[in-house]
Amino acid sequence: MKINLNAFTLSALFLALPLTVNAAQDELVEQGKYLAKLGDCTACHTIDEGQANGGGLPFTTPFGIVYSTNISSDEEFGIGHYSLEDFTDAMRGGVAPKGNLYPAMPYTSYHLLMDQDIEALYRYFLSTKPVKQKNRDNDLMFPTNIRFGLKAWNLVNHDSKVFEADADKSEKWNRGSYIVNGLGHCGECHTPRDVMFAMDQSRHFEGELIGGAEASDITPKELNRQGWTKQDLDDVLRKGYSRKGTVFAGMYPVVFHSFSHLTEDDMSAVTSYLLDNDAEVTAKSDTFNGHDKSDPGYKLYSGYCAGCHGINGEGKPNVSPALIANATIDKVVPINTLSVMLNGVEEQRYSHTHGFYAMPSYRDTLNVKQLTELTNYIRKVWTKQSSDLTESQVQGWVDKIEDSIADAAH
Amino acid sequence: MSTIALSINNKAIGPIETSDDIMMIEFLHEHLNMTGTKFGCGVGVCHACTVIVDNEDGSSESVRTCINGVSRFNGKKIRTIEGHAKENEFGEIIKLSPVQETFIENFSFQCGWCTSGFVNETTVLVERLKLMPIRVSEIETVIEKALGDHVCRCTGYVKYYKAVKELILSTEGLTRS
Repeated sequence: MKINLNAFTLSALFLALPLTVNAAQDELVEQGKYLAKLGDCTACHTIDEGQANGGGLPFTTPFGIVYSTNISSDEEFGIGHYSLEDFTDAMRGGVAPKGNLYPAMPYTSYHLLMDQDIEALYRYFLSTKPVKQKNRDNDLMFPTNIRFGLKAWNLVNHDSKVFEADADKSEKWNRGSYIVNGLGHCGECHTPRDVMFAMDQSRHFEGELIGGAEASDITPKELNRQGWTKQDLDDVLRKGYSRKGTVFAGMYPVVFHSFSHLTEDDMSAVTSYLLDNDAEVTAKSDTFNGHDKSDPGYKLYSGYCAGCHGINGEGKPNVSPALIANATIDKVVPINTLSVMLNGVEEQRYSHTHGFYAMPSYRDTLNVKQLTELTNYIRKVWTKQSSDLTESQVQGWVDKIEDSIADAAH
Repeated sequence: MSTIALSINNKAIGPIETSDDIMMIEFLHEHLNMTGTKFGCGVGVCHACTVIVDNEDGSSESVRTCINGVSRFNGKKIRTIEGHAKENEFGEIIKLSPVQETFIENFSFQCGWCTSGFVNETTVLVERLKLMPIRVSEIETVIEKALGDHVCRCTGYVKYYKAVKELILSTEGLTRS
């Protein structure tokens, strides 16, 4: 009887062992799936109408076009043949089995990832549907088309050290920092680039003009000055809009594919880090200085903008954001205000019942004098920013925006 | 309140006092009793409320009136659906425009709510093609680009597009070899 019992226990142990291993693997894959959303991997590695993670999405850079690669589990065209070490090298050092990756793949941020998260991502990608799609050749100008040069670039610009917590900050703040700077790779757009096109860490998160719009200054100093609360940030990152306005340009897909999927705890950590405050921040009162009907900007505002944004800047739910408390217009440099006037904003939908309609482009409708009058007027009514911008200043910013679009289109 | 003056269908309107925050469609309906321009979505999406603005350089452009305030039109020359057909001295319609004719011949509209927008947008397209003719092979792309944002909830797109294609092909000078 004893022998039988031991045999039973032993056989049960053998049966349970693979189940336990499988359950652990499944959990790791699920964790990797969540982390992949957090890192927005699918957004860059999937083309419209294409199979998930099949690659081929073009990225326009000042040096030409870089195409994202197939990161599905396919062994021939994807990363199915990668070992965990190969995957880790690609994530931390930008070095894949076939050679160096261009820093369009944000390994300059992903190096912060901890081992267990890299393994989870690896397990997840190996569980994805294999996509039989060959990688496209990049179309880059000389000498940037020589991958060997990336070794030198990495030597000068890349430090692949893993995230280290700041002992002076809370656990929550550190989790936020890990997400925002690591997988979230927010700095890739929001940190100005230096002469080597690497992130200038001395100006961490101070904003950068990309493709005709500015990835805003998201330093705690600026966010607190603009009166963002934790709830505002939670709203804008989870839903794409908040009391402080809507996201637009490159931030819309980031919200749609990535930040809208964050757990409450992770979002709370992100907002704590961004505001450098674990507690909720008290909202400041909104600025509305009233209309000045003698100002030439008033007629422009009532003619071109009030239909959607409301005569008092109150906005329309699910149509257009309010201008009261809007962070886009409350900036010292009005590049994004001018950017939306010139380029318009594409329709943004998050669900059948939640979204914003397109804003038309006024590039061919408003001249620089009108743009100046309108920008000054909007600032005068809804912000505490100076409203004495000159036409030559505005022309300078318009030129910058156009140059930035031209750079992105090369 | 603001004072505005403009030309609508070649008739001088104003100076007239209007509220600052009304949209052009409201001005047309409530101040001028011109109800041919239809209010659809109210947020600039369906394009039913489109009118034509004639620019000083001789070109014409379509502008939505539900999202543009009346002050945007101050001093401008605009055309609405009421201005397309020719009238006699008694105000009776004696001849429709070629665009209106082709839509009738093709039975393009059903409930008719979107028609004024389609007529105005097609008129702008035809006037543009007179200045810049296109290749026959480009017709469908050009029509799609010009009319693609106009919404017809009866889903009469096929008949609208067919009518416009016929009109372009049958009007001299709109296409080139």
